[in-house]
Amino acid sequence: MECVVQGIIETQHVEALEILLQGLCGVQRERLRVHELTLKSIPNLGVVSSEVRLLCDLDQQPEPTWTVKHVGGAMRGAGADQISVMVRTMIESKVSKNALRMFYSLGYKLDHELLKVGFAFHFQRNAHISVSVSSVNKMPKIHAIDEAVPVTPGMQIVVVTAPATPENYGEVAAAVSSFCEFLAPLVHLSKPFISMGVVPTAAAAAASLMSDGGGTTL
Amino acid sequence: MPVKWVLYWQPNQGTTVSTQILNEATQCVESINGVKEGRWKATLNYYKPMLRDQSNHPDLPRDFLGISLADQPSKYYFVIRSQRIVVEADASIQLIMEKLQSYKSKVSLYFDGFQYQLGDFRVRVGRVVPVHSESVRGIVMEVEYLPISSMEKSRKVMEEFVEIWHEALSKRSLSGKFVNIELNFGEFGLADTYTPQHTGVQYAIVMAHMIATVQPARG
Repeated sequence: MECVVQGIIETQHVEALEILLQGLCGVQRERLRVHELTLKSIPNLGVVSSEVRLLCDLDQQPEPTWTVKHVGGAMRGAGADQISVMVRTMIESKVSKNALRMFYSLGYKLDHELLKVGFAFHFQRNAHISVSVSSVNKMPKIHAIDEAVPVTPGMQIVVVTAPATPENYGEVAAAVSSFCEFLAPLVHLSKPFISMGVVPTAAAAAASLMSDGGGTTL
Repeated sequence: MPVKWVLYWQPNQGTTVSTQILNEATQCVESINGVKEGRWKATLNYYKPMLRDQSNHPDLPRDFLGISLADQPSKYYFVIRSQRIVVEADASIQLIMEKLQSYKSKVSLYFDGFQYQLGDFRVRVGRVVPVHSESVRGIVMEVEYLPISSMEKSRKVMEEFVEIWHEALSKRSLSGKFVNIELNFGEFGLADTYTPQHTGVQYAIVMAHMIATVQPARG
């Protein structure tokens, strides 16, 4: 299970966001370069059609590492409507590099693939929170990560996630919400698929952050 | 990780496998000064594709299995023998498979028995039993040579150990023998340095041979 919100930010303000995050999180940022492949089951396979994501972390040494991820449906109902973050089932598993070939053999086909390039912060603040800021890139040819181009040039996506359990998702959601308020001057964060657009005053906030390296209280 | 060979009991023509073989084998280990360290257990699951339309059969593997190994409790291993594929994953991959609902575990087997220390060797002997059944499907034996991780470098000493083992067991006049299957690990993309993925492949091959050659029998 995880709590998740996301938003978009203009690329010109990403540096300011990084300065803000550096000050808030108190940890070193990590480079993010992930090749994300979404696989779908072939017709007739499975009780229902299914989808699985394979994530290849291209920055790991000595060689890229792979993770399989299953993202489930979001919590629904009156309770979910009152929470400002999305709560959904999510299961991850590290896998060895043959996993893609295995899923192809099992009747899964590549539906689409993306390359996410940017940075991330992972820290503890009443919950284990991860913030990633990245450009989302598509490939002109299959698996051609070196030829990837941005899906929306000039815009990057900000994603805030935190793992949760059925017992503690309320507290985790509150921790994520509370953290997101600090980012409000630069980026609107909301449940996925409910876009709030860019922050109209982000330019002023960014200028303020850039001019004194993040010392100004927003 | 130390090199490990996985052997299986091949009964003579016309005979079956039973728990008696396991008892004889464990007594034999103890007779050559094996020090009992405790029990061990592993699990193997055969997966079958779930098809919405049973009359339409896409080309999907019939030998897709998953293994949980005693010495890697947080991991799970998938093998598709016909495709020469082996994958190591976190144990949580089993939850992902359940969520996907594309494959279901239709047959599950336990391997359980005892573990012994024998000088520089670790030996495990166990019976193969379908879950929810008492019928013994086979007997397996793991032989681990602790000082060496290279398959090639350990070959001679492993062969010598297996020879000593065969000699010790022959005094018990049992109707069969433990067999080691020569494998080309390179076909599975595995190198000379031993890993748990090598163990996964060995178990998959051992099970295929066992199903083909060993008649099941009750306890």
